[in-house]
Amino acid sequence: MTPILRVRALLKHFVVHNVDGRTVEGLCGVDLDVHAGEHVALAGSSGAGKSSLLKCVYRTYLATAGSIELQVSSGNVVDITTLTDREMVLLRGRELGYVSQFLRAEPRRTPMEIVSHAAVFRGIDASDAPEAAAAALTRLQLDESLWDVYASVLSGGEKQRVNLAAGTVAPPRLLLLDEPVSALDPANRDAALAMIEDLTGLGVAVLAVFHDIDAMSRLATTVALMDAGRVVRTGPPSAVLPELTGVAR
Amino acid sequence: MTNPTDEPDPVPPVDLVDHVLRVNGLGKLFGKLTGAAIEGTGPERGTAKHAATNTVVAAWDVSFDVSPGEAIGLIGESGSGKSTVMRCLAGDLEPTCGVATMRRRDGSIADLFEMTAAERRALRVSDLSIVYQDPAEGLDLSITAGGNIAEPLAAVGFRHFGEIRERAASLLERTEVPIGRMDDLVREFSGGMRQRVQLAKALANQPVFVLFDEPTTGLDASVAAGVLDLIRDLLDELGIAAVVVSHDFGVIDMLTTRCLVMHHGRVVEQGLTDQLFEDPIHPYSQRLVAAARA
Repeated sequence: MTPILRVRALLKHFVVHNVDGRTVEGLCGVDLDVHAGEHVALAGSSGAGKSSLLKCVYRTYLATAGSIELQVSSGNVVDITTLTDREMVLLRGRELGYVSQFLRAEPRRTPMEIVSHAAVFRGIDASDAPEAAAAALTRLQLDESLWDVYASVLSGGEKQRVNLAAGTVAPPRLLLLDEPVSALDPANRDAALAMIEDLTGLGVAVLAVFHDIDAMSRLATTVALMDAGRVVRTGPPSAVLPELTGVAR
Repeated sequence: MTNPTDEPDPVPPVDLVDHVLRVNGLGKLFGKLTGAAIEGTGPERGTAKHAATNTVVAAWDVSFDVSPGEAIGLIGESGSGKSTVMRCLAGDLEPTCGVATMRRRDGSIADLFEMTAAERRALRVSDLSIVYQDPAEGLDLSITAGGNIAEPLAAVGFRHFGEIRERAASLLERTEVPIGRMDDLVREFSGGMRQRVQLAKALANQPVFVLFDEPTTGLDASVAAGVLDLIRDLLDELGIAAVVVSHDFGVIDMLTTRCLVMHHGRVVEQGLTDQLFEDPIHPYSQRLVAAARA
């Protein structure tokens, strides 16, 4: 079966012109597949390249070399590294979801507006978007009294739930998660993890970074261990996670 | 307008299937166009002015396109050439070379640099609007807010006084100008309120394309934030294609999905707006982002 995401020989170098033109190597040849309904958790120490990989797939970072192939809804396979910017904008809307650790709260927008807007971007009819947004916010247990206040005044955990709701309001084909529950208390964390679990069950391909092993063992079908910009080992959580203890968290 | 003989590439056939605006090889020089002037200017030379010939290469080889409902940013410091590009598209400056085509609402293609003055005025009334940094450029300050908006409405055939007033009132309401001030002279308005009147006028005839030139520069921070919110909401709601020119990364970040970085008259980098902010590649873009984050 063709994977939803196929990453091959991916390199990401940063040339820092304003310091001394030095080159920082972020990714040094990543190979990775994610299939429909599969949840691949990226593990490894800080600086191993986990977030850089997610950002290259979303093209917030430009890959230096290699390929990032995505099988889109039509069945065609596109290489994210060669799409035009305009094609990438459209692809983000239809096929990709990205949830970062921090909500870059758009100024003066409410959770309801942020999540409705995300729903419309995903192709939900504008008249149906508020209902879809309400369902997503309810699912993540964001108190209804907060739906119409500016997101910038919310707590870290509340923002994170708005962020997750916006990223999942209409399930994308590939969901990229970068520490999406790091600021949540146990009850809210549980609701968020259950929601992510359900998405995988619906066939969404998930590529995620969690800093805690519990979340990985609960959600992941595969763990990919990264070190120094490469995937050094992949396997089922039961095989890979025990190796992490003490090695890389 | 024809391309000068020493311009490198012939302009490819225009394909506007998915574009509202396509700009190809736009250049604007003050002084003589020579190979030496082009060679001797740009980011690598650190200047837009060719000292030997006194030629200023204000913009060179600028190409981009804008899709329906899409807002594109043009960012750079003063002197980068971004306003020159804007003014050429607006018809306020005559470009030295290049082609810019726009698909009008009726589906016809307008060749912006080949139009007569009359054709251009007609285009500005019906399909293309400009919101200037200085409201005095887009408005007549000596007449009322309602009168300013009536002008483009009358130009497209609104005849009945009541109809014009009703439409003007609804536009002012949408841009959050108190209706009670409709009959006040624009000169008596604050800077932020003038900008809202300018927005109402720009939207009067439902343009397919709007150019925003530093739309919030010069306003107090809190007033600028309100105007910025309004522009963002209008772009979302009306699905207008737009080019936003600004030196302010905050404005570009909030309003656009793609942008071009200009420096010494050239485009040094273009990309998705979030990518340019998180992973700027060109040395100048890196400096710009570092300054914005400081």
